[in-house]
Amino acid sequence: MKEIVFTVKKDIDVPVELDSLLPVKLQEMSVEEIKKIELPQGNKKISVEELFNVNVNENEAITTPKVTINDSSMKLKRIGEKMEAGEIVVNGDAGMYVGAEMKSGKITVNGNAECWVAQNLKGGEVIINGDAKDYVGSAYRGDWRGMSGGKITINGNAGTEIGEYMKKGLIVVNGNCKIMPGVHQNGGIIIINGEVEGRAGGEMLKGAIVINGPLKSKLPSFEYEGIVEDPVIKLTKKDEGTPIKGTYYKYIGDFVSNKPKGQLYLSVEHNDLTC
Amino acid sequence: MEYIIKNGTVYDPTNKVDGEKMDICIKDGRVVEKVSNNAIVLDANNKIIMPGGVDSHSHIAGAKVNTGRTLRPEDSKKDVWHKEGLRKGSGFSVPSTYKTGYQYSGMGYTTVIEAAMPPLIARHTHEEFVDLPQIDKAAMPLFGNNWMVLEYLKNGDLNMCAAYVAWLLKATRGFAIKIVNPGGTEAWGWGKNVHGLDDEIPYFGITPRDVVRGLAQVNEMLGLPHSIHVHPNNLGHPGNWETTLDTMDCVKDIKAKPKHGKRDTVYYNTHVQFHSYGGTSWKDCVSKGVEVAEYVNKHDHLMVDIGQITLDETTTMTADGPMEYDLHMTNGLKWANCDVELETGSGVVPFIYSPKGPVYSLQWAIGLDLFLHANSDKVILTTDHPNAGPFIRYPRVIAWLISEEYRKDWIENRVHKWAAQKSHITDTDREYTMYEIAKITRANTSKVLGLSDDRGHLGLGARADLAIYDIDPEEKSGKKIEKAFLEANYVFKNGDIVVKDGNVVKEVFGNTIYVDAKINEELEAELMKDLEPRFKKYYSVNIENYPVQEAYANQWEPINIDATEIK
Ligand SMILES: [Zn+2]
Repeated sequence: MKEIVFTVKKDIDVPVELDSLLPVKLQEMSVEEIKKIELPQGNKKISVEELFNVNVNENEAITTPKVTINDSSMKLKRIGEKMEAGEIVVNGDAGMYVGAEMKSGKITVNGNAECWVAQNLKGGEVIINGDAKDYVGSAYRGDWRGMSGGKITINGNAGTEIGEYMKKGLIVVNGNCKIMPGVHQNGGIIIINGEVEGRAGGEMLKGAIVINGPLKSKLPSFEYEGIVEDPVIKLTKKDEGTPIKGTYYKYIGDFVSNKPKGQLYLSVEHNDLTC
Repeated sequence: MEYIIKNGTVYDPTNKVDGEKMDICIKDGRVVEKVSNNAIVLDANNKIIMPGGVDSHSHIAGAKVNTGRTLRPEDSKKDVWHKEGLRKGSGFSVPSTYKTGYQYSGMGYTTVIEAAMPPLIARHTHEEFVDLPQIDKAAMPLFGNNWMVLEYLKNGDLNMCAAYVAWLLKATRGFAIKIVNPGGTEAWGWGKNVHGLDDEIPYFGITPRDVVRGLAQVNEMLGLPHSIHVHPNNLGHPGNWETTLDTMDCVKDIKAKPKHGKRDTVYYNTHVQFHSYGGTSWKDCVSKGVEVAEYVNKHDHLMVDIGQITLDETTTMTADGPMEYDLHMTNGLKWANCDVELETGSGVVPFIYSPKGPVYSLQWAIGLDLFLHANSDKVILTTDHPNAGPFIRYPRVIAWLISEEYRKDWIENRVHKWAAQKSHITDTDREYTMYEIAKITRANTSKVLGLSDDRGHLGLGARADLAIYDIDPEEKSGKKIEKAFLEANYVFKNGDIVVKDGNVVKEVFGNTIYVDAKINEELEAELMKDLEPRFKKYYSVNIENYPVQEAYANQWEPINIDATEIK
């Protein structure tokens, strides 16, 4: 298989959209063809060769169609958008919409990410090794049908409104989170290992949020259920359950809606019942 | 420019032309008897020709359409319009202005009426019209919940009511009297609604019956080109068919007296599909489409448009505020709601008519029941765009009507079994002819709107608005029918070719039609004595700032009415 390596060769002022550089599609193209691909940049187009040095590594060690972007920055938008298979590695930062609407495959960003990481993710895996900004794993603006599968891992911190309208899948944030993780959540699981600023699960109906650090202010519209030890989170009747290690205060919410089934787990170690 | 279109198969019901092979000559924007040798020749052999489509009920501009666009960025994303040389646009069910014009034009439509304009926000509607290319347009101001109307009717003062209607039509550059849930939207201001024709409207103490009858009388006193255009009470509620028939029946003694146009009806019931539900709840709801169609067939005083469900994801929007609240409570989706001071209100809710849903499939079947059992002289094809579905589905509706085979495919393979079980669509093998399609999209609409003097037909002197479709009149393939009507082969607007092979090739900006009814000077002075203090007391705008100014159209097309005999 081939690894196509794009190395940024000049400063980028106006952001460029990279959704056409998908690993599987590029496998079938010659280097010359790849260099000629036109990428939207604002209201103009720029060719791949104007922007990148392109190299192709071909060896047996590469088992899946692969794209690597070196010296990447926040000016490169829509990396891996609608990807259906293969792997993308971003060395540097990724701009808005990395992995948006992705169906399968894997994206790793060895840097930070802008807003809208993996918006409406359907499947596959997105890993951000630095921080991510707002709306990680959210729905498209205005839509009520959000992320429907796959896994997002943010190894740094995340911004506001992560997992907005999430329906299925998993979001893990190893750092801290700003306000409203799981707003309008309708399924799936969000695990936050750091601190959360507040309003977790606002208007959530289904799904679960696990917070292993402190939640600075909890919404009053969640009902306390009791202390649970090593809970197994079941989201539907048929769900085998997802086991979680630890001792938690368990809440149900958000009772601003009728009959909510959202589960909120706050680690006993970092939270207290009066918060 | 002169054109001669040769050998097309022409469907022009107004002039009783049913599939005749003939040549059509065009000169200076009109259909003429003959043209010179310089005329450009167009061969329409094996193609059909119809007058330009006239849509009597659609929501294409103004406050609630724009609220729909704002409320639904996700609808914008669903359909992006980007064709070389044209303005970009977006939106599937609530398209932006240019996209709306281009797409109507691509289907062969040349005149479209916006069916609900809040008078206070008329300027917004006209601003959007200015940016809506390809078609002529007009807008109907809302009267059925207006304080002045309610008060004049309460006092039994039809003359003052007529004077006010004439003044408001002119001030808003409006076209006809629109009535939506008479009394109900006003009641909604009090957190209430009205349900039957004889429920009392809070504060005013009159009933929806008084409003419908009163405005129907006023309409004929003024002699307006169109009749009252009514969305009755109880829209969308099982069992509402009785209210619908009551409302239709309550004006049957009134005589049509238009001073412009050729209509003979005094009542227009819009989206009658939403008003033909039997039963008491969604569990026992059945189609009353056949019963309503029979009433329509038997009575000369009315016409109806259907509001056919197209089984799409769409955006509902109406001045019927309480109805939209009910919808929002049913589907739990986002909701916008608005009160227009003294005049009306509105609501907007996204809606998914899934073909798998029993209720939606039944609603789909009720629309078809109405189409298939009604006299084609008395029905009009609409989807109440975007309420029952977007206007770009008209070609699909046409395919359901023309081809029983295609309809059956949907009944058997696509929709829920309730469609067949709770309606009468499978009782008939009726198939619409091209002639009938031309009636329900051209001849009937132009006549009922009072615009048939020079629109909706191809007689000598008619406006050269016409569409050529590349289709065999006997075609039964649903897909082929849909494609042909979605992408007209040629469309002429005012004698210019504006569409070729479904693509807009020339951008033109149509007229804005409105009614200018002249009323007696003394009566007008009396009206002003009444109106000025009310504006000072109740409105947040001055009466001087209220009327829509001259600049708000590419080109005005007034219909002048003399109503000075009212004293
Ligand atoms: Zn309507």
